[in-house]
Amino acid sequence: MTTLSRSAGPGLGHRTYAFLRSIPTWVLWFLVLLWTIPTFGLLVNSFRTRDAQRTSGWWETPFQGVANNLTLDNYIDILAAGSQGHLWRALLNSLAIALPATVIPIAFAAFAAYAFAWIDFKGREWLFIATVSLLAIPAQMSLIPLLQLYSGGGHITLPFVEKTLTLFPDLDLAGRAVSVWLTHTGFAMPFAIFLLHNYISGLPKDIFESAVIDGADHFKIFWRLVIPLSVPVLAAFAIFQFLWTYNDYLIAVTMLGGAGQNFPATARIAALAGEFGQAEHLLTAGAFLSTLLPIIVFFALQRFFVTGILAGSVKG
Amino acid sequence: MAGVFGVTINVLMALGVAGGVGLWIDRGGRRSQVRRILASVAGVVLGGLTLWGIYASDKLETTAQGVVVSIVASALIFIVANRLFDLAPDRWAVFTTLVGGSITLIVFVLMWGNRIFDQPVLRTVVAICIGAVAGYLLGTICQPLARIGIGALAGAALGLVAASGIRTVILQFQVEQRTFDVWPMLPNLNIGELILSTLIGAVLGVAVWALRGRKGSPIAPLIWGATLGYAVGAWLMPRIGTGTKTDAYIAAIGLGLGLGAAIGLTSIPDHVTRGRIEGSARAFIFLIPALGFIAATLIIPTLRTLFLSFYDARGEGYVGFENYTTVFGIPNIFNVEDWTGIFGSRLFWVGAVLLVVGVVMAVVVGRQSGYAISFSPGSGALASIGAVFAIFAVFAALRGTLFNNLWWVFTVTVVSATAGLAIAVLADRSKGESVAKSLIFMPMAISFVGAGVIWRFMYLARDPSKPQTGVLNSLWVGLGNLSLSRGPGFWIAVVLVLGLAAWLAGLAMRAWQAGERGIGAGSAICALPLVWFAYALWQGIGGYKVLENGQTVASTITFTQESPFNNVWLMLVLIWIQTGFTMVIFSAAIKAVPAELIEAARVDGATESQAFWRVTIPQIAPTIGVVVTTLIVLVMKVFDIVKVMTNGNFGTQVVANEMWQRAFTELNFGLGSALAVLLFLAVLPIIYMNIRRMQKAAQ
Repeated sequence: MTTLSRSAGPGLGHRTYAFLRSIPTWVLWFLVLLWTIPTFGLLVNSFRTRDAQRTSGWWETPFQGVANNLTLDNYIDILAAGSQGHLWRALLNSLAIALPATVIPIAFAAFAAYAFAWIDFKGREWLFIATVSLLAIPAQMSLIPLLQLYSGGGHITLPFVEKTLTLFPDLDLAGRAVSVWLTHTGFAMPFAIFLLHNYISGLPKDIFESAVIDGADHFKIFWRLVIPLSVPVLAAFAIFQFLWTYNDYLIAVTMLGGAGQNFPATARIAALAGEFGQAEHLLTAGAFLSTLLPIIVFFALQRFFVTGILAGSVKG
Repeated sequence: MAGVFGVTINVLMALGVAGGVGLWIDRGGRRSQVRRILASVAGVVLGGLTLWGIYASDKLETTAQGVVVSIVASALIFIVANRLFDLAPDRWAVFTTLVGGSITLIVFVLMWGNRIFDQPVLRTVVAICIGAVAGYLLGTICQPLARIGIGALAGAALGLVAASGIRTVILQFQVEQRTFDVWPMLPNLNIGELILSTLIGAVLGVAVWALRGRKGSPIAPLIWGATLGYAVGAWLMPRIGTGTKTDAYIAAIGLGLGLGAAIGLTSIPDHVTRGRIEGSARAFIFLIPALGFIAATLIIPTLRTLFLSFYDARGEGYVGFENYTTVFGIPNIFNVEDWTGIFGSRLFWVGAVLLVVGVVMAVVVGRQSGYAISFSPGSGALASIGAVFAIFAVFAALRGTLFNNLWWVFTVTVVSATAGLAIAVLADRSKGESVAKSLIFMPMAISFVGAGVIWRFMYLARDPSKPQTGVLNSLWVGLGNLSLSRGPGFWIAVVLVLGLAAWLAGLAMRAWQAGERGIGAGSAICALPLVWFAYALWQGIGGYKVLENGQTVASTITFTQESPFNNVWLMLVLIWIQTGFTMVIFSAAIKAVPAELIEAARVDGATESQAFWRVTIPQIAPTIGVVVTTLIVLVMKVFDIVKVMTNGNFGTQVVANEMWQRAFTELNFGLGSALAVLLFLAVLPIIYMNIRRMQKAAQ
């Protein structure tokens, strides 16, 4: 929106108006610059030697001579196994956490979203609202009991009898990626059901009716019709969930606890940032590497991501 | 499975599943881009798993294999359950056979898992056979008496099998140095009690039947009630574990007899009923995995956290509200001692004055156009900046974790929503819109941890005598140098700033005379800070200050350490991330406002800014509501940024990090739970609002 659309007014000249009209654009690009500088600075710094990073700002790089100051050593050091970073391992762990934690919820949420949208049963609306309202529950509410569940199993003590029955055996999951997957899957459910339901309930009714006339049951309709037609929203959720789980720190660090060898990149970087030691110059390269994949995913699939965000918020 | 063998298995497993999934997604030759993306994503998924299996330790490797197996197993269970209920309408006997077998299987595996049985395998197999045969017979035979007989007989047989396997000795096992005793599940029967509870159950069953309108015969409810009463009397009495094997036989056979008879009482359902069974079972099957996960990770843990918040650190002794009183008693968490400081702070009064001026301006302008109050960009900016200043002053005086959290919620929500809206408006239909929006949106892809590291390099502060390596301190110290130097640079800067201010003032005058009130007020408002800036430059601003004796001392800002405003610098990181999110949503909402509405307003003589405030804003009001609630929920549980940048030191603690430290560093589960409950209570109103909104949308 241009704030001034009148071509000329009394008293102020054409050029003044033209200048004033260009101000929003200038402000916009100034903001873009402000928003980009931090990331850009990190990127430049990550290629500078330890000494250069410690003694001068990254913006001085062009005046310092490329040969002396630019290097790939930070990246090599932090990726190489055995150095203080072990980032290569951590990046693999990140993928090993994020990919299953993206794939598992999709299937479950799609089933549920379909049931909420197209299967008639008693209390459907009530159950749907109850499910989606759990979206706002803070993860902190679940952390302690979940960790206890993963590290000791789930038990219920029968009242009066004082006998304990095991509902969920102690599988010694704490410290393993599985515990993070399960947690992410559960936490993602309300949003995933909400997002997929928005889309699936909007599919045209006719196709379902004609499928029923052709003798298809819910199972067939789900696999043959709903899933193929919902690919865009499934992709949107997948990207959303991938970025979320890849970037997650809280759940990973809680569930993995002391098992540092299973830490994802975020937890590794956070640990590195807490050390304040000799390795601080590696932090730049590490932080950039850990954000590289999300940024690529983001720019490549931005359209789906935006669709997901919009479907999740505007329609609601 | 270590070594070459394990790796081979992993690779084969991953490649096989990857190929299968890829082919399945890309099947049928209909090649769309989305499908191909999905297929490649699936490929990458399983490639990642493979790599992981190769690179990670044995423990991880076995976990990966276990998970693949469990995913395949749950998929199979899901498909089998669906296929099972497909049978219900047309092939009832097959259906009942399978149901009989599977129910027996589930019950026996549950008992097995709880270490009730001695030698479970053979018993389970026999039991499944009995269950399946009973299911088949009940699915084919119609004669009522025969059905009851079959049911009772099968139930008794299952009871016999179960009771014969019950362990008679205490079992001990160890988990992490703790020894657990599992007592044998032998009931100790007291005949009087047993009869009494059976009678009570029967009476209750008939009572329920009567209360529900006396439909059908009372015999079925009677038997159900009696059986349940018998079960309670036999199995749920406190003496369980001290009885004998004979008692176990009596208790188990009686229970099986009753249950079997009750099931046998039903008649074979007609085709319509079978269809109904199939339909509701289907909804259940489709929902149960998702609802199961929700129950296991959200609902039950929430209840348990509530429960734990009333218990001591180890969750063993009941302490009432002690954890909550502790929270409000720790000065680092809740500190209102300095509340009078609010009125002593200059920030508060500056804010109050700006707020009043802005509101007065809006009221005056509003009078002219017939509204009670009408904010223009100028007066709106003044009022909101004033409000922000005043509230900052309040939070600078009220200290502690809880107030920090509120401060976060206020600042990040307001600033990021406003900035997002402003950028969306600025970018709308301007050149390079998509590029600009992408770049501002990009921090959304960066983790909070990564963002914390990025901004740590922005906030770096070194010894002031050396060149600064952080952008902000470099600017700050540079400003100080400029201000102190009184060299040519200083004079050029002062003249430039004052010149710009003078030009703006002139523009303001001309615009005012020309009737362009908006431009006039805007220019004047922009000129004022410039004059102030020139004055400050003259007085000395920036990273150096002059002491009274004329000596110059250097100073940088240690952004993350100077309490209380270090909080604001941390908030800036989250604002940097979240503004892209709000911008994208607002941008879509603004584009969805019908152009005719705005044109109509313009034709009626509204200025651009009036059209914005009176047409666009009301149109996007629901979106603003959604964005604000989303942000509040998100900011309320801010954790990563604080953890990475200060770990809650220097007065920057927030509830989520406090909770984490109390629970997982100090292992005080009671206090940690209480803090989590406080977070939960804070978002409860928002959950309620969301429910209301969804109920409206559903109607």
